Amino acid sequence: MFRYISKIIRYSALKSKNAIHDDTPDKNNNEPILSDLEKNLEKIKGVLRDSSDVTFHEFNFGHDRRFKGALIFINNLTDKNEIHKNILQPLMYDVLLLKKDVNMDFTKIDTVRKNLISITGTQKLTLMSDLLDHLLTGATILLVDGAKEALAIKSQKIEHRSIEEPGTEAVVRGPREGFNENVNVNIALIRRKIKDPDLCIEKFNIGERSKTDVYIVYIKNVANPKLIEEIRERLSRIKTDAILESGYIEQFIEDAPYSIFPTVSNSEKPDKVVAKILEGRAAILVDGTPFALVVPMLFIESFQSGEDYYSRPFLASIMRLIRFLSFIISALGPAIYVALTVFHQELIPTQLLISIAAGRERVPFPAILEASLMIFTFDILREAGVRLPKAVGQTVGIVGALVLGQASVEAGLISPIMVIVVSSTAIASFAVPAQTDSGTILRYLYLALAGLAGGFGVIMGLLATLLHLSSLRSFGIPYLWPIVPLNFSGLKDTFIRMPLWTMSKRPNAIVWDGSDSYRQGPGLMPSPYKKDSDGSK
Amino acid sequence: MTKKINILTSKLVICFLMLFILLGCSGGREINDLEIVIGMGVDKDENSENILLTAQVVKEGEMEKSSGSGGGEGDGKAFWNVFGTGKSVFEAVRQITHKTGNRLFVSHNHVVICGKDLALEGLQKYIDFFLRAHEMRPTTIILIAEDRALDVMNAKPETEKLPAMNITKLVKTYGFTSHFYKVNMKDFASCLMCGTRAPIAPLVGISQDKDNKDIYVSGMAVFNNDKMVGRLTEDETRGLLWVLGKVESGVLLISSPNKQGKVAFEILEAKSKVIPEVKDGKIVMHVKIKGKSSLSEQTTAEDLATIEAFEKMQKAQTEAIRQEIMAAFDKSKELNADIFGFGEMIRKKHINKWKSLKDKWDEIYPTIELNTDIEVKIQKTDLLKKPVSPGKEEK
Repeated sequence: MFRYISKIIRYSALKSKNAIHDDTPDKNNNEPILSDLEKNLEKIKGVLRDSSDVTFHEFNFGHDRRFKGALIFINNLTDKNEIHKNILQPLMYDVLLLKKDVNMDFTKIDTVRKNLISITGTQKLTLMSDLLDHLLTGATILLVDGAKEALAIKSQKIEHRSIEEPGTEAVVRGPREGFNENVNVNIALIRRKIKDPDLCIEKFNIGERSKTDVYIVYIKNVANPKLIEEIRERLSRIKTDAILESGYIEQFIEDAPYSIFPTVSNSEKPDKVVAKILEGRAAILVDGTPFALVVPMLFIESFQSGEDYYSRPFLASIMRLIRFLSFIISALGPAIYVALTVFHQELIPTQLLISIAAGRERVPFPAILEASLMIFTFDILREAGVRLPKAVGQTVGIVGALVLGQASVEAGLISPIMVIVVSSTAIASFAVPAQTDSGTILRYLYLALAGLAGGFGVIMGLLATLLHLSSLRSFGIPYLWPIVPLNFSGLKDTFIRMPLWTMSKRPNAIVWDGSDSYRQGPGLMPSPYKKDSDGSK
Repeated sequence: MTKKINILTSKLVICFLMLFILLGCSGGREINDLEIVIGMGVDKDENSENILLTAQVVKEGEMEKSSGSGGGEGDGKAFWNVFGTGKSVFEAVRQITHKTGNRLFVSHNHVVICGKDLALEGLQKYIDFFLRAHEMRPTTIILIAEDRALDVMNAKPETEKLPAMNITKLVKTYGFTSHFYKVNMKDFASCLMCGTRAPIAPLVGISQDKDNKDIYVSGMAVFNNDKMVGRLTEDETRGLLWVLGKVESGVLLISSPNKQGKVAFEILEAKSKVIPEVKDGKIVMHVKIKGKSSLSEQTTAEDLATIEAFEKMQKAQTEAIRQEIMAAFDKSKELNADIFGFGEMIRKKHINKWKSLKDKWDEIYPTIELNTDIEVKIQKTDLLKKPVSPGKEEK
């Protein structure tokens, strides 16, 4: 049966792949640009199928207006002011052109570019397909009659949000700025933080229809070249029609697509991404989304927060331990409750057992059903809370709290202890944002196991999870590093966060042997200034 | 590759689904279906030779109510004593389910109280179930009722809602006076199995002063093998605990140095060491006790915070302790019950000689001599240095 289903899937995949190829526009466009302006324009108009937002502006220029040219651009992608001021105006009214004795041949595109166009960022094109690509990304195309080349002039005007504080990953201490949907802004944000010539930004164009700009950002001497090669390789394998969000890229390049644990991390905050780049990772920025991907991802990254490093190490370490604890609670809370109350009542202190029993006196359901009902209700509320308009959201919160907390207890559907268990579980699951998904799935899994086999089931589930986690790799790096395999210098930044001056090495699973693997030298522990370090007096 | 993964996932899914069929919640039991037993009493049925088992079951609903507002329905008791009879304890336990409807859940059983008539007859046949049943804990406290166990179970304590919990609390706080000692099933059984050592268990009774029927624990029952042969008074019990080094705290009362009043000391710390000596058939036990105490109360007006007074009082304390020990020792000789476990101590120290002593230990025990070496230090006089007495204000 499974084979049958997989066959269907493969067939439909093949079909859709063919469908893409049938429609690809560059099939006929891989031909050179002709010297005849009329023919060129006709061709372009044919390919674009008379789209109403494309402007074809034909004009004459030069002395006596003896040269013919045309500007093609897409209305809303380009800055019209710029076209008028810096392209059209110089072409037609430049002092150079008004002089009679100027004997320049403006049928040569190079001459036009060098003498008349007053915008940086121009590119000579010879192929029709290139011309279309540039046109569609917002460039203004200049065609001159008699020239076998065209000129793409950068004049994009892209609307974007201002730089705001991201909705996720809020911090108390640390920069508030977040990425936005414009990838150029995002790259600028990263550049501003690392003023290093080694910072490399490689551009890819992914998506047969969307032609989305995708950038790999890394530091040359720090990141492992094999890692970068692997990313390039995986990115170039993506043959899809559109990339709408970095999640598309993530799902096409991740190591363990069947795992509930993410092997690619994402972030909205430039400081976080830069910190990871400095550790030897590579960021993948995608145009159109504020979420940057960072690879490779380690499991412990989920428990690290940017703030850990900005604030002093003591509370940061405790908070990190609390995050570990919250993850355990969020995955295991209801399961342990069910296992204890259904299978191992002897492990509960007598007084507590009596109050649990008293609370459950009127509850008609078995504990496992009670727990699933409650978690399910909570997940409904959570999902509804995210989707609902903000104005209604608060109402849902209040109704949810009443329904979950009070009414269901008073109606005898749920015991009060269960409310405590589920609500603390729910709160705990948000303490580790990166693992909220996996925590939620694990919660259901462990709950089922606890209901079926009690503590034994939970332990088996934990064991399976542990085995699975230790088998995972993200771009070649063991997912559980530095715990499995054990690495002592890596442990400085795992369960607790050691002071910054002790962490002089970058994580050595990520950086490579020949790289610049030291952040700083030794002996940076702060101390009062000593005049004679050698002690002679 | 995809094929491989598909087979693997399908296998995993099938495995997971099989969990539901194969396990089927076996072994699980909902809390609602349990009758939580927190105490048990074993008595002889008055009319027949059967065992009368009292199980104290918690009424959870009543537990949650605050004691004031409990009125209205029922008698406000948070417990329910269910009785069962049978030829054996286990039979009686199962017979109780005729009345409860649910299975008794005995993992939270804290105390087992045995009636005096059972103790006199021999406990061995009655405690087997409590040690053998897998739900029972070996740390269950064992007590002997001064009369019948069910009377103790029926007494309604004032602060606690459950008599059994009340008794557990009482026993666990033996340290305040050291006038009795906590004995659990495991200790009792290991004493019993040891052969020479006499098991002991605290005695529980009901005081009948005025209208209040209060549960109290005081003194210890002494067993010879599994039969109760006598009892230790409170002082004798502390004498026993001195030797065992189990005195945690307590009040030591002596007369003041000028014999005009009494001085009470709080025992802060007590350590003991027993060295058995076997010489040509004569056995002497050397007991070394080191203690610390603090002056907690005085009923005279004299100034006791002097070195001379301290020395006198330390001596008096030593004597008081010695008297307690000797009282316990004499009682044990009289009952011919090795409550101290001297036999075990000799076995550990002089294994070769023990082999010959072991068989006639009953005859030898009354001939043992005890040699005490007690040292008590007064550490402080608490918050007052001089007594609060009229006309002695310093200027």
